[in-house]
Order: sequence, then structure tokens, then C-alpha cells
Amino acid sequence: MPSTIVEKILARTAGREQVTAGENLPVRPDRMMAYDFPGYTDVMFRQMHDDFGITELAEPERYVVFIDHMLTRGDGREQEVHQVTRDWCDHYGIALHEADGIGHQVMVEKGYVVPGAFLVHFDGHISGAGAFGALGWGVRRDLLEGWVTGQLHLDVPATTRFDLVGEFPAGVDARDLVHEIIALLGADGCAHQVMEFGGPGAQTMAIGHRQSLCGMAMFTGAVSAVFEADDKVATHLASLGVEAGDPVLPDPDASYAARHTIDLATLRPRVVEPGSARSANTRHAVELAGTPVTKAFIGSCASGRIEDIRAAALVLDGRTVADGVDLNVVPTSQAVHDQAEAEGLLDVLRGAGATIARSSCDFCFGYQKPLQPDENCISTGVLNISGRMGSTAANIYMGSASTVAASALAGSITTAEEVGRA
Amino acid sequence: MRTYPPPPDVITGRVAWVFGDDFDIDLVIGVENIKSYDADFLRGVCMQAYDPTFVDRVRPGDVVVGGRNFGYGHPHYPPMVALRDLGIAAVLAESFSPGFWRGETYNGVPLLTVPGISRTAATGDRVVLDWRAADVRLPDSGAHLVGTPPSDRVAHVIAAGGSLNLLLAEHGRTPAPTS
Repeated sequence: MPSTIVEKILARTAGREQVTAGENLPVRPDRMMAYDFPGYTDVMFRQMHDDFGITELAEPERYVVFIDHMLTRGDGREQEVHQVTRDWCDHYGIALHEADGIGHQVMVEKGYVVPGAFLVHFDGHISGAGAFGALGWGVRRDLLEGWVTGQLHLDVPATTRFDLVGEFPAGVDARDLVHEIIALLGADGCAHQVMEFGGPGAQTMAIGHRQSLCGMAMFTGAVSAVFEADDKVATHLASLGVEAGDPVLPDPDASYAARHTIDLATLRPRVVEPGSARSANTRHAVELAGTPVTKAFIGSCASGRIEDIRAAALVLDGRTVADGVDLNVVPTSQAVHDQAEAEGLLDVLRGAGATIARSSCDFCFGYQKPLQPDENCISTGVLNISGRMGSTAANIYMGSASTVAASALAGSITTAEEVGRA
Repeated sequence: MRTYPPPPDVITGRVAWVFGDDFDIDLVIGVENIKSYDADFLRGVCMQAYDPTFVDRVRPGDVVVGGRNFGYGHPHYPPMVALRDLGIAAVLAESFSPGFWRGETYNGVPLLTVPGISRTAATGDRVVLDWRAADVRLPDSGAHLVGTPPSDRVAHVIAAGGSLNLLLAEHGRTPAPTS
């Protein structure tokens, strides 16, 4: 029977010839990942050791832990949290990647993400792995089942297929696409499904843009998203010293829950109003033009890659952000930071008045420079729920890096096109 | 995290509240309170933005009802802790946001997809729920709806009082309670 990408990946990891959407079955992920955070990894390690009596791991190479949260205050509490993680990883022989950047990016740089791989994490933004034709699934506390037994029971999801055509206009990128999809289909448009992207438009998309789109999949209700791996994936991985191997591609007559064609050339900048990414909050940027902002943020596991930093630099080159605007740029990983530095992009951004911060998750969840009451922030972060980046009385608007940079320049919501840089 | 006993096969109570579409569960206690697990504190803030009488009128076995995509946003655990502490035994909704669904299924909450429920049920209605069959009867209106029953695995999780209990039982560590 013909299969989608996710059906093929889950069949392999379930040890089956094939699986069908709707089945519940145990699967063995290639990697079971986590970032250290109080109440998550410390609890899971303790449960694994004390409650289940697991003192050593049969396959430690399948476990990966990142330290990417709580890195920026430099206080004793941070050290305490991280030391617990270091001790457990040392005890079990688990690979620990500390302060290299956001795990959902570092996992690529370290070679864990190849076409056809299946990765789980308690955090849903691991879906960004789909940019490489891999399946990343955020399983929340069910990660414990994986850590304890080596396998997890999952429902095989149905797939919605997106055939992309055309090419993004200047000043438009994957952030605008994901919010366009939510506007079209609703915040539950792909609920419990996997989004599968292919077609000539998909091939025009930069790797960082694919990561951005896949990393935001949860806001359509999807459990994950995946691209057909192509030559761009192989080239990108090769640049990291990683062999891509054979891509896992869908069969031409695979069965989809729904199928949509989107022409990327028709897209326009989107901005999401504070509250959540639901469709009612999703607006064309021009509709919100003039809304004042005093904070601007470019970064996160969904954005903050080299493509985003280039886009911001294009908008801000030779200019300075508006008086009273605090623009913070956080590259998604240290490697992205170094590349941006080498390309001269960070100098451009510094020259424009931006602050470049060390790569971590801390800005996006309100740990570093938390927003103050009544501040308006425009952000490429992943969430704009009340309180996400600081005060519950602050307002978070979300948009692409181009839109955030243009808005920082103007001091109010606008687009790269409006400021003459698209 | 507190643990709760598994539900009886048939849950009997009332509809304690009916929420709309894309409901963010954090609003049950208010986003400023989402890091607290203190029972007294949670009782003090639970549903205050919706109905100050809620905490006093809810009885064990009551359920809450949602529209489409219940649990959308960035769900935290304390809001369901607050509801379960009051006795809320299940959530019935048109559909659930996957992250919320997975997180609270892990905790053993029966989350049942029942198309039509948000248009049929009203706050205060008596409800008789056979959760394994997703079979919902509302005796006051005579309505009878049948939703999507949980998979066998999810039914085991709920009957064990959550995934951790089930896993422990499967590893002979601590027996899962039976229902």
C-alpha cells in the first residue's frame, strides 16, 4: 500500500512492513531528546533511576540532552540545575550538549538529524527536524516511556499534504507561510496530523525557512511537519560533515487526509496579535501598521537562523532603530552566530543599535530581559501568549525577521516593503 | 504532580462549564498563576474570571465541556490540577489540541472527543458518561451523543490513573490501580 513520509518512518521504527494512519503501536525513536529544565529532566532522571530501578542504559547513544535554557543569569540556581543534568548524563553515558545554542538547531549541527530519522523530545518544537525529511515529535511527559522502555506508544497520524509552488516575494518568509496556513485552515486545521511539504515551491525554500515552518507546526494543531528531502538538504548536511543518506519520500498515490496547493508568490507579511496564534489573531501586517513597539526580538528555535539574520541586516543596513526601541538579536546557535559574524551581519545589526545576545532559549520564555507591563514587543519567538516573555500585561506581536526589523526601524509595526527594503 | 484515582467506568455528575473554541486552558486559573501547584491557592483562583461560584458548586464526577481545539496555546499542568482537585472527572470537547491532549492523557484525564457536545450541553445539565465508549447521555434534555472512544492503549492509561502508573505496573514496580 502506498505510504506518506511519516507512515514510512514510523513503519521502520515500529519494525513493520507498513503502518496505517489511526493505528496505535509502539515505535523505537532513533533519538530521544530533552533539554534540562527544572521539573522535567531532573524528575525524569530520578524516576528512571529510583522508580524504575534503571542504573545503566542498554543504548545510551539513543539519548541526547541539551543545556539551552537558563544560561544567562549566571547565578547559583542555574549552576545547580545544570549540575544535576551533568551528573545524570555522566552517570548514564548520555551525550550532553551545553551552551552550544538552542537544541533544536544544535541537534542538526551535531548530526542527529538526517532524512528519515525519527526523533522525540518532550518539547514540540523538535518538529523543526522535518526540514531535513526527518520526523520530530514532541511527546511531552511520554518521553519517560521512551527513556525507560526504548519505545513509545503513538497513534500513527494522518497526513495533510501541502504542494507549494512559486517563490516567496522579497520580505516574506516561512513565518508568513505558517500563519497564512493557520488563517486558511484554522488553528486546528491539521489537528493530530503531520503536515507534509513538497513541490517546486518547497524546493525554492532555504533550509532555515523550512526549519522555521516545521518548527511552528504545532500551531496548526499538527503533531509534526516534514519536507521531502532534496539536494539542498544533502548539501547542507554535507557542509556539516553529515552524510544525508537516502531520502524517505512519499509514494505518488499515498493517501492524504487533505491536500492543499499554496502559491508562495501570493503571500504577504503576516503579524499575529497578542494572545495566541489562532486564526482570529492572524492579520496582514498592514492592518496593524502604526501599532507602536518598544521591544523587538529576533531569535528562537523557529527563527534566528542565518536566513533570518540576513533578512534583518538587509532591512537595517546603514540605518538605526527608532528611538526608544530595544532590538535584541539571538542567533539560534553559536555556529549561526559565528557565521553571521563572519558574514559581517552582526556588525550591521550592532551598527543599527541592536543588542546581540548569546544563543539560548532565554529570551523567548521571558527569562532574559523580561517584558515590562504595557510594553509592546514584536517578536520572532514561538509564542505570544500572555506572560510568555515577561509581564502578563505586556503585548507580544509575532512576525518574520524582516517584519520585526522593519518595525524596530520604524518604532511601530510595518513591513520591509514599507521601509523600502524588500 | 498530584496523582488521582482512575475514574469509574461510568462517570455521573453535571456539566460544570461550557468553554468556546480554541480555549487556552491556562485561563482557567489565569496566566499569572500557571506555576503554582498549591491546592489552596489554585482553589482561590480557579475559574474566578468566569464564575466565582464555580469552586463551590462543582461536585466530584462533574465534567467540563469544550468547543473545537480545546487546550490550544501553551498548556501548563496546574489548571487541570485545579479542576481535578475540585472533582472534575473528564473533559468532553468537539476536538482537542494535540499538546494538551497528550499531556493530560499522560496524567490520566479522560479527554473525549464528542462532536456536537458544545452545542448540546449546557452548564448545570446532568451527565452520564461511559468514558470507554465515549457515550454521553444528558438526561435533562434527553440528548445522547457518541464520540470517539479512546484507543486501547489510552484506555489502559486512563484506567491505570495515568501513564506513569501504567508504566510502573508494566515493569512490576508498583501495581496500577484497577477500575
